[in-house]
Amino acid sequence: MSSVQVALGSRRARPLLSLRARTLLTGYAYLVPAALCLLATVAVPIGKAIQMSLYADVLFKPQDYRFIGLGNYIYLVEDPVFWLSLWNSFVWVFGSVVLQFVVGFAAALLLHQAFAGRTLLRTLLLLPWVIPGVVVGLIWEWLYQPNYGVINDLLINAGLLHDRVAWLSNPDLAMAAVVFTNVWRGIPFFAIMLLAGLQAVPDELYEAARIDGAGVWARFWHVTLPLMRPIIVVATATRIIWTFNYADLIFVMTSGGPANATQITSTYTLMQAYANLDFGYAAALSVVLLLVMLAFTAAYLRITKGVEEAQ
Amino acid sequence: MNERWLLSRRNFLRTLVGTGVIAASDLNWWDAPLISPRRAWGAEPVHFQFSVPEPTRITLVTSLVERFNQSQKDFAVEVEFVPQAQARQKLISAISSGSPPDLCQIWDNWLGQFQGMGALEDLTARVKSWKHQPDVQPTAWQTVTVGNAIVSLPLSVTLDAIFYRTDRLKEYGLKEPTPDWTWDDFLALAQGFTKADKNQYGYGMRGAGTWAVLYPSEFAYANGAEVLKDGKVVINSKEGVDALAWYMDLALKHHVTPPSAATDGFVEIVETFGRGVTNMYQHNSGSVGQQKKNVGADKFATLPVPIGPAKKRASFYFSETLTGFKNARNKEGAWQFMSFMLEDEPSLMYCKTLGLLPARKSILDQPDFKDDPALAGFRNSFPFTIVSPYLAYAGWGGKLDSDGVPLMQQAIVGKISPKECLDKFADILTKNMS
Repeated sequence: MSSVQVALGSRRARPLLSLRARTLLTGYAYLVPAALCLLATVAVPIGKAIQMSLYADVLFKPQDYRFIGLGNYIYLVEDPVFWLSLWNSFVWVFGSVVLQFVVGFAAALLLHQAFAGRTLLRTLLLLPWVIPGVVVGLIWEWLYQPNYGVINDLLINAGLLHDRVAWLSNPDLAMAAVVFTNVWRGIPFFAIMLLAGLQAVPDELYEAARIDGAGVWARFWHVTLPLMRPIIVVATATRIIWTFNYADLIFVMTSGGPANATQITSTYTLMQAYANLDFGYAAALSVVLLLVMLAFTAAYLRITKGVEEAQ
Repeated sequence: MNERWLLSRRNFLRTLVGTGVIAASDLNWWDAPLISPRRAWGAEPVHFQFSVPEPTRITLVTSLVERFNQSQKDFAVEVEFVPQAQARQKLISAISSGSPPDLCQIWDNWLGQFQGMGALEDLTARVKSWKHQPDVQPTAWQTVTVGNAIVSLPLSVTLDAIFYRTDRLKEYGLKEPTPDWTWDDFLALAQGFTKADKNQYGYGMRGAGTWAVLYPSEFAYANGAEVLKDGKVVINSKEGVDALAWYMDLALKHHVTPPSAATDGFVEIVETFGRGVTNMYQHNSGSVGQQKKNVGADKFATLPVPIGPAKKRASFYFSETLTGFKNARNKEGAWQFMSFMLEDEPSLMYCKTLGLLPARKSILDQPDFKDDPALAGFRNSFPFTIVSPYLAYAGWGGKLDSDGVPLMQQAIVGKISPKECLDKFADILTKNMS
């Protein structure tokens, strides 16, 4: 019997690849469709944008289409509106996300408590998030309207204002006004994400801390915050990237005005592409935006990982 | 029961439901007058993009499209309404991907860029043999001619005039302005109209959108300035700077404009006048219909823009166009629909309903336009209309929005001087003379 098996075995062709290699390749083969999709939808457009940024590509000047190397990037470095828009982007992103996080965390802590009407309040809290950004922009634009907007009327009737304030038309106030609107819209995102995190913290840890004599603040600082750190990192990183690229609200409310006071890099890119039809320069702006975000995300994840390791 | 019979009954019921749905969707045919036999099933589609500033146009254009579709059997126009803010972006994407609509409704200030992209169909040959060609105002033909090619049909024309509240004029005992009024008269009226304690302002200055640059430019022409002279940009001449300084002083020195002026666009200037916050504003006849509803036809009037220190004035002339594309699939259908829209009845209905002025002289002479007192300011402006100087170069189209408007906004809020504003603006225009 065994001699027969040996004879048969010797006739069988030796596999080209080892079992381990075949297992590995089978795994990769399963990934190929997803990888191809990613390549087509992410890598190719990014590659195309980089390629476009190296060309003079103004749509209404097809005769001038040519390779200009870093020409668009040199122009970008010398463009004062780009630097202003980049600074505005940081104010817009960090102003929005920090306030959204603080208020959202407070809302999550409140909604984590047991009280009558909690379910209704949780549902209501989601409303600003459910409304499309363009609609939010239009609603707030009318609320801020200096001549017949509700905000001025309320403040004047309450005796807090004497003269009507042009919230969106005053360059010193416009950014604060759009950030406030974005904070209003983004609070539910943080509240819901952080509420989910709070619900995952075991009650036993709070019990143990209480027995050890920890007060409210100590329990929050030493129990809640460390256990919430992973979700905080993911939520803030996602929201920062999102807000950096989020142009709808500003586009609807101020179109980047007055006098570029609310011009962020994403609205400026949109304007270069669709007002000036300068797709080469718009692509260069997009590539820079991508690099800024990549650098920021890498640094952010590195710092937060460092903090976690230190813990 | 026989299974085959059951199946057949089901099919019968399906057919019945299907017929009902078709009949229900077809009911609107009975509402419109039957001009000629209904179109054949094989009618070729004509894709038409229409940018919608307000809902009235949706109803109006749908009705006109329906009439065209009933009037012949070869083409079926399918209209797509696109919000005005997205219209340009959508067209650019469609042109770039090689699949533009067969025709679209756009303003003439976009034509230069689209022609530069090589996207527009040359209609010169068709227009020359078109029966209404001599009836269209020569200035309207100028606005739709790029290089030597006629690229559109002018659906309506616009020029700017000043709207003012006649009831408030009486209420405040102010002097009635005349069509030959001057800058001084304008300022005196704006000051008389301003009652900040009542949240009322004399002039609804526009600070957003392309016209935030065009309105002060019209004032500059009244002071003897020009945008382009002998091939050079001269908007920053002394006359231009003085005119802009005078215009900006309406906001900075005289405070006759609402505090929101720096970001007030089309909607805001029309709305604030309609709500009684402002008592004058500058616009084309497109908002006449809206103000008749908001303010009341007997409570406002229009006047030509005031005469400046140079004893001149200018109102920029624009056309709302129907434009075809080189890569359109149905050029013949597009042309048939364009020319239908400029026939007597469609043109009259379109312009009358929207308060616009028709491009055809014979229609403009009809009582609906000739005898409407709200249009007096516009009719009186025809002698000094000029084609917008900013149509000279395709590269200027986008720069007005991306660079010109922020500069004007900085001047309105006093962050830069009128001279600095115009020097920078002239520099941008000079760099983009292509």
